[in-house]
Formats: sequence, structure tokens, C-alpha cells
Amino acid sequence: MRIGEVIETSTVGFWAESERLHQLPPLGALVAVALPDGATLYGVVAFGQTAGVDAGRRAVRRGTDQVFDGAIYDQHPELLRILRTTFQAITVGYAGPDGRARHHLPPWPPPLHYSVQECDRATVAAFTEAPGYFAILAASEGEVAAEQLLAAHIRCVYDRRGRDTAWLNAAGQQVARLLKRDYDRLLTVLEAIDPGVEKYEVQSTKYELGGAANGSGGENGRAGKNGYGDVPF
Amino acid sequence: MPFDFSRIAAQIDDLAREVPRGGPDEFAPLREAYATVDTGELVARLTDPRNKHSWMPARPDVSFNRAYPAPAAPPDFGVIATDGSFILPDRHSPARFYLINIGRVHLHYGSRPDAHLSSTAELRYREQELQVDGRIPVNATLLGMRRAADELAALAAAAEGVPRPAVALQDGTLILWSLSGQDEAVKGWVLADFLDALERLRERGIPVASYISFPGGKDATDALRIAACDYPGRGLPINCDACRAERDLPACHVIPNVPDRHLFAHIARLGPGERSDVFASASKILREYGEHAIHFFYLQTGTEIARVEIPAWVASHRPHLDLVHALVYDQCRRGRGYPSVLQEAHEQAVIGADERRVVEQLVEEALARLGLVMLRSGKDASKRGRFV
Repeated sequence: MRIGEVIETSTVGFWAESERLHQLPPLGALVAVALPDGATLYGVVAFGQTAGVDAGRRAVRRGTDQVFDGAIYDQHPELLRILRTTFQAITVGYAGPDGRARHHLPPWPPPLHYSVQECDRATVAAFTEAPGYFAILAASEGEVAAEQLLAAHIRCVYDRRGRDTAWLNAAGQQVARLLKRDYDRLLTVLEAIDPGVEKYEVQSTKYELGGAANGSGGENGRAGKNGYGDVPF
Repeated sequence: MPFDFSRIAAQIDDLAREVPRGGPDEFAPLREAYATVDTGELVARLTDPRNKHSWMPARPDVSFNRAYPAPAAPPDFGVIATDGSFILPDRHSPARFYLINIGRVHLHYGSRPDAHLSSTAELRYREQELQVDGRIPVNATLLGMRRAADELAALAAAAEGVPRPAVALQDGTLILWSLSGQDEAVKGWVLADFLDALERLRERGIPVASYISFPGGKDATDALRIAACDYPGRGLPINCDACRAERDLPACHVIPNVPDRHLFAHIARLGPGERSDVFASASKILREYGEHAIHFFYLQTGTEIARVEIPAWVASHRPHLDLVHALVYDQCRRGRGYPSVLQEAHEQAVIGADERRVVEQLVEEALARLGLVMLRSGKDASKRGRFV
């Protein structure tokens, strides 16, 4: 399903404008851009926002005691034209015309103005079968912390795959492998995935929840990525 | 140092002291004149050809000092507006052209709210577009009037597909003041399209109005000066020259030199949504307008006193007048003190500095393709590449 159009593009990701105001794929969702050569580029939604089409115009309060929430859009119909919803995706791989998924960056960015599609269950299942591309998400430095993005992506895919526990297990192990030197970051990811599966994941990576968790995993993680504090756990 | 602020600091303080503050007693004579004006007598004085004066007094249509609350807006209605901006002909460029960009907005309210926003840019470069009547070059003043005609023509075109009831709005004045004293060819170049657009709006049954924020007009206070003149009481026709020759302080001196917005804010004390009476403008250029002569009223928008100008056929048809009153006030409330539709039309029309540069660049590239290297004037080049 077409959900947006590429409005800014680069080797590592792209920005898309939603087809409709306030309608964008959830954080962590897998999206695709069909390329002119028959290949398909895949991205993970890493950020979304709604703001004025003209960056120089800030939104102001429009509500009154009688008119609020959705009714504001009926009383100010121009808002549907002067606001826009945009989202950013991090490119995590592509599939050639042969359909084989590759978990590394494609040689070129997607063309501007091409359609962005939300991936169906079969496509999500095929691309995410092996979680090798998690490294790209773990190294991302966008507005959303990499740990939160990874966790959101794992939740999305787990759901799209019909609550596939085997896949969740493999995903947890992959995260543990990636963050084996950074317990705080790992814990942040695991806690954010789902409290219900936390114990399972922690056991599988031979770490234990406990007093060592101080909630500052994000800070440590950033320091590590920047090369200042990549201290073995 | 290019600009010496210290030199003007003291003058700014003096200037601020000159701004009328409207204390309770400062304008007592004005309050008295406004409350007691005899509309019949005033109209008689304004229409008596023997009276000679140098003011631009407004002629009240019905009465002078009544206030009218805003009528309710209909359940389903539209507002349309156009606004324009231009790129002036550049005297320093070898390519002679100007560009007019017109923004159009239609907002529909009610059971099926909707909005349409668009803009159209047009480059004009033909000899007949650069010179009026083959001899008068189009400068900034002429282009301003041409834009006004183009905006109104676009408004009339936009009105064709808009369901009624609807009001068509413009920003600024409908009175082409700067057309006075222009060559007849220039008048024709602007007025033919301008009046044709007004006529099309009338035929379409969509009242048109223009909106002036923070208006500087003094038409109503000028009319109070005519009312205050003591010459008719002495059995003489009004004659400002004779009066000035006769004495230092004329009888009309009691009317302070303040804009109408002050009169309707502090003396008439219009409440939010209320409008003043409707007046006819005395501008001489309106003699050329025929049945589209411009009338106006003042409106308390909730944040300020604005001036709303309308053609005679809107002023004299109460349903049109009430619709304009209701919808302009409604727009001001939606737009936090300024009509939303005008705000959006402006946004559509505006040509940003980057866009201006792109137009210039495209023209240069087109010339280059034909082997013409764009040579700029020395003065222009020095402004572009500033050095020390």
C-alpha cells in the first residue's frame, strides 16, 4: 500500500511525505521503495513528525471551549493543505530483481518522488527472516535512540510475523550479540521490547537483570558509538 | 558606520509623544461631534456643489453613528481570496521582464469542509506588456495597479466555480488611488480589467470586499469637520480658502487629526463583531468606477478596527452587506485577528528570495543557451559582490 513519497534521499536513508495528514507507518515498521531497475529497497521507520509545509510557519493553538481535537480541522479546512506528515526511514537493505534479500546498504539511494509502500506480511517475513541488518539500526544516530528504534522494530516485526516466538528468540540473540560489550544498552533494548519476553531474552544471553541496571544505557551507548567509552562489559 | 542610531534616538522619543493616546477628555469635542451629527444636514452639505473644501469626507449611506452586531454566518459557506506579488523589471539586467504571481484560496465551511490552494506565475516580456500604449514604461507604481487588476480578475475567475453563499476577499483597498493623475492610457490599461472583474462578481452573485488592517483613512473624521463648519450657519457656502484667510483657527479645528480607526475604537466604542455605518468614499478616481463606486465600513474584528471596502452594489443590497459583515468577522476569529483566507492567499502569492534568484538564474541560462552572456550593470555587480 502506497503510504508516502520520497522527498529527501541519501545513501543511508530517506524522508517521505505521507499521502494523508497524520497517517504514517509506526515507528520501527518495514517500508519499501520499488526502484526503477526492478529491485526493492527496504527501510525501517525511524522518526515521524507533522508540521507546517512551510518550515517558517509554526503551528499555533486553534482550539476553543467548543472546538477542539478533530473538530479544529473542520473549522480550519486549510490545515489539511498547509500541514504535512513526514517520516524518516533508515535503509537496511534491498532485494534484487531475483528477490533475494540483502542486509547491507544498496549502491544508490532511492530516487526522489518515488512511492514508499508499507510492507505486507509476506514481505516482512521474507526480509526479516535473518536479523543480520540489526547492526545498521544499532549504529543509527537519529532523533530516536538506537535502542528504542531496535526495540520498536522488533515489536513491529514480531507482530507482523504473527507473534513468531522463534523469530523473537533469534532477534534477542542477535541484539545480545551486537551489544555484548554494553550491558546497559542491551538492557534498555530488552526492556523496551516487551516485559513479557524480557526474562526469556535475558536468560538466552546469559545476562541477569538486577541492581546493575541504572537506566542510563542510552548515555553509555552513545559514548560507545562515538568511540569515547567502548568499554567491555 | 553606515547608520547612526544615536542621532534618531531622541527624535523617536518625540515621535512617540505625538501619537494620540485618547484619554477620557482629550477628544471630548470629537465625542460630541460624533454623537450629535445630523446625517441629513451632513449629506446636504456634502452634496451641495457650492461648497468648496480640501477634505476627503465620507458620505454616510444611511446614518453616521450607529453600530451593527455581526449577523450569524450561514451553516454552509465559502470564502475565496487572491493575492499577488511581483518581480519588478530589473533596470540593471539586459533581459526586460516582470513576473506576477497570483495566489488563490477557496475555503469551504459547513457540512463538507474543504480547502483549495494554488498559485499561478506569469512572466511578461512582450513589448506591449512592458510599455503601456507603446510609450509609458511599466514601473513599480504601474505594476502595483496592474497586479491589483490581475488579482481581481483571478478572484472573479475563481468565483465561477464556487457555490453560494460565498464572499470574495482581497487584501488592501479597492480604490486605485494611484490611478488619479495617470495618463488616460494607463487608466484604461488597469480599469478595464478591474471593473470587468467587479461586474463578473456581481453577475455571479458573490459579494466582493477588501480588507484593510490598521487603516489610516480619515474619511469619517473629515466628514465630521464638514459637519462642524460654521459657514452654513452664517448663510455662507463652505469655503476653506475663505475661512483660512479670515481666521487662524477654523470652526472645524475642534475635530482632532486622528484616523477613523481611532474614532470607531475609542469614540464609537464598537464591540467585537460590530460594524459602523456604511459610507461612500469621496475619492475622485471613483468617478471612473460607475456603479462599482467604493463604499466602506469599519469592523471591530476582536483585535482591532479594520476597514472593509465594498462596491456600491454590495453596500446597497442588505443580504450582500450582511454576508460580508458576518463572514469577514468569522474569518478574523478563525485567523486570530486577520482573515485566514487572506493569510493563505498571501502565503500562496509570496515569492521568496530563493525563488527570485532561481527565476533570475533560469533567465540567465536561457540567454546563455542563445549565446548571450548576461552582462550586469557595474552598480548592480558592486552591490552583489560587496567588498572592503
